Parts: sequence; structure tokens; C-alpha cells
Amino acid sequence: MDDYQPSTRQGIDPGSPGAKPKRTLRLGQRAAQAALAFLLCAGCFLSLFPWGRAWTRSTLLLPAVISASEPAPLTLAGDSVRFRRITLSSVTGPGFLDIYEPTTPPPPIPGGREAIIVVVGAGDNRDVPQLVNLLQAFAHEGIVVVNVGTPMLFQYKVSARDGEAVVQAFELLEHWPGVDPHHIGIITFSVGDEMACVGAADPRIRDRVAFLGMLGGYVDVSSLLRTVGRRAQEIDGQTQPWHPISTDLYTLASSVSSLLSPTENKLLQKAFPLNNIAPPLTVQQQAQLSPGTAAFYHLLEGDEPGSVDRNLSALSPQMKALLVQLSPMSVIDQIRAPIHLLHDRNDQSIPFTQAQEFAVALARLHHPYDFAAYGIFSHVQVRSNPDMAQLLSDGTKLIQTLNSILLVGS
Amino acid sequence: MLILSLFWLFVGLLIGALANAAKLRPAAWVRGGRLGMLGLGALAALLGGWLGTWLFGTLFATATAIWVAVLVVALLPRLITKCNAWLHSRTAVP
Repeated sequence: MDDYQPSTRQGIDPGSPGAKPKRTLRLGQRAAQAALAFLLCAGCFLSLFPWGRAWTRSTLLLPAVISASEPAPLTLAGDSVRFRRITLSSVTGPGFLDIYEPTTPPPPIPGGREAIIVVVGAGDNRDVPQLVNLLQAFAHEGIVVVNVGTPMLFQYKVSARDGEAVVQAFELLEHWPGVDPHHIGIITFSVGDEMACVGAADPRIRDRVAFLGMLGGYVDVSSLLRTVGRRAQEIDGQTQPWHPISTDLYTLASSVSSLLSPTENKLLQKAFPLNNIAPPLTVQQQAQLSPGTAAFYHLLEGDEPGSVDRNLSALSPQMKALLVQLSPMSVIDQIRAPIHLLHDRNDQSIPFTQAQEFAVALARLHHPYDFAAYGIFSHVQVRSNPDMAQLLSDGTKLIQTLNSILLVGS
Repeated sequence: MLILSLFWLFVGLLIGALANAAKLRPAAWVRGGRLGMLGLGALAALLGGWLGTWLFGTLFATATAIWVAVLVVALLPRLITKCNAWLHSRTAVP
């Protein structure tokens, strides 16, 4: 470096008055060299290495996840996005796909794009601003995102048959222009995890699913009904009160409607309306329910917290079989993809214990997974004005999960 | 892309200024040397940004612009000086 210093003064006695400016000059020179070295290393890491590219993506995506708006740097530096809505038909019924994709061709490095299939919970949530914002943010990052919905899910009915829509979406993405068929993963929210797990466990695609990310999902309907019936959950040996929201009860009642008589269906819909808390059924109305349906009603109503096990046993064999079918637990041993579990500790829609049970089941199977508990979510949406300390703590965990998900296509 | 390009030019100017502070400017670049380093940094960052856009996509173009600009301001002046010295030595030989 010395031959590159055109105007340094040589031969100054260190003790002389001229030594101090020279020392300051050298310090500034060293600081500038260190800054350039840092910029070189950081620039190389963030663009040349897959881990660095995933980290860049996670950092830019995080503000979009924890807020309802896209960060300016992502809008400025990201790809422009094209949206299209298509319908797939299959033997199990139509699948509605909302596709958000970058308009530009994929760059030579890493080659093909990553694709993510998103399955949102019960109801038609396709136009929910926070979801649309998240899907657009993914697409700005160069990822093809497909939001999958089915008529059953739109009607708040969970069905294992809807897994076919996920399989169809996966197979469509495998041949989608610019998508690397080995970089397709699935992200689910809430009860969407049932159809996502059934799809990810399907022998046609299970060996090619890159990852499965679940926020606020459930694992076993029977244990979910136990928590709902008791209006309490047990976390780390401590019993805590837990009260389901009306949407949970409506979804549970709707999901078993195929097994009920028209009268029973009418009564359960009356007892558990959507977005509303209704008064309990009268004794005369309860008398019109079969013993199995009455047991199911009491579990949802939560009016017999001490008889939950008895009520679970009293369910009809058909309903017990359906509950097993509607539980991701029944297929997790057939899933090959690594699973990322995310759940809010104070989730009022799906109890936190469901994620804990999911993690225990995966650990028992020695299935690759990670599990992070959060405090910033209100079920699957970010709370408004979360605590800053909580935001920092959860943001760190979230960025790790995003990193794992985005590393696949980086 | 225009805003991004302007941003890369600005980043390149900063890197050129840092290179001046780090005394990466060759001793031979006396007249207009400081400005030359700024211009070199800006041009390298702009080219690096476009190279990054083509190779990795716009999301990683700024990071590419940064490392390309640092490499260029650190190595290109040295290379030019060495080439000049080599050319002079060749012309000096009878």
C-alpha cells in the first residue's frame, strides 16, 4: 500500500508535533480500508452465496410479514408481479388458484425459481389484504406463489379430499415456466394444514416437496375437541383457560355435517353460527339430537367440561373415523418434507398445545422439523401494534424460519 | 431501474470516496486523481448493478454493485499503473 500514498510525509519524528496528524491520517486510512474490506465481504456473501441470498430475501421479506404493507426497498429492488386466477378441475371438484409470479425470466443463478403453494384456513380469504401483501412480497422476491382454495374450504369445511387440489397445484407448478421442479414447497395457515399434509403425503409428490411450513395449524381433531370441550389447555403441566372463537365451532360443526341428519345440521348451525355467539340449544332441541351428535354438541358448547372423555367416547363410530381422517396426525408418517411449525402461544383459534403435540409426534418419528413459539400473532395474522421487545424476539425467530424456507430456491 | 441505477451511482461515489480515504489512488494519478477514483467507483457500481441484475436478479444487484465497485477501485488503478510502467519500459528499450 505504501507505494500508493502520493502525499504522505516521511521521516517525521514520532515525538514531534507533526506526528499526531499523521497518526490520525493513518487511522482514517485504516478505517477506510476496513470499511472497503467489509463492503467487499458483505457484498460477495449477500449475492454470491446461497445462504447470503436467502438472508437478503428474509431480511427484505420480514417487514412484509410483520406489517400489512410492503417495505419500500422490496418494491424498489424486487421483480414486478403478475397476477392471474385460474381454476383446476379434478375428480374431487374444482381447485381455485391465485397465482402471483414475477414478470421477468428467472436469472441464470440459481437458475429456476422457487415456488410456494399457500393454503389458507377456512373461508374465502383470497382478498384479505395481509395475505395479498404477503403473496405479492414473495413474488417481488422472485418466487412463484400459488394460493390454493377449494369450495369446501370456502364453506368452512375441512376435507381430506381437498388434498387433491394441493397435488394438482404442485404438478402444475412442476411444469410452470421458469420454476425449478425441485424447489416447490408448501406453506399453510390454520386448518389449511389438513389438506396441505394430505397433499404432501401423497405418493405422487411426497418425495419432491421441498418443505412444509405451518402457522397456527392443528394436528389431531380429537385432542382439539378435548381442549374445546374443557375450555382449558395444559401447557408445561399447567392448566390454562382457553376459549375458542365462533369460527372454530362453526368450522368443526360444518366439517362433520355430512354425517348428520338435516335436523341435526340445522340445530348445530343455529347453535354455532359464523362470527357470532348464539345461546345454547334448549333441552327440547338437544333431545332431537342422536346420542353421538349430542355428545359432539356438548364438546363444542363446552357445557360439560368434566365429561369431555365420556363425550368423546360417545361419538358415533363414523364420526370418530371422520375425525381421524380430518387429522394431519393420520398422514404425518407419510410426509417426507422437513416441517417448520410456527404457533402463537396465545392463539385463540387453534390452541398452542396442538403445535406442541405436532412437534412431539414429529420427534417420535425422527422427522426433520423445527418449532418456534411466537407472541406477535393473533392466530395467523400479526397483531396490530405488537410490543417492541416481543417484535425483536419473534422477528429473530421468524427470520430463521424464513431463511430455511427461502434457502431452497436461493 | 432508473432509480436503482442512480442509487448504484451514488453507492459507487461513496466507495470511490472511501478508496480515496484508503489511499488506493496510485501516486501517478496526481491531476484529477481524486475525481477519477470517484468516477471509477460510480461507473464500476453501475456496471456491477447491471451485471448483478442479469446474473442474480434485481434483488441482489445492489450487493453485486458494491463488491464489484470495491474490487474495481482496489485493483484497477494498480493494474493500470503496472500496465503503464510495463509499456514505458518497453518503449524505453532501444
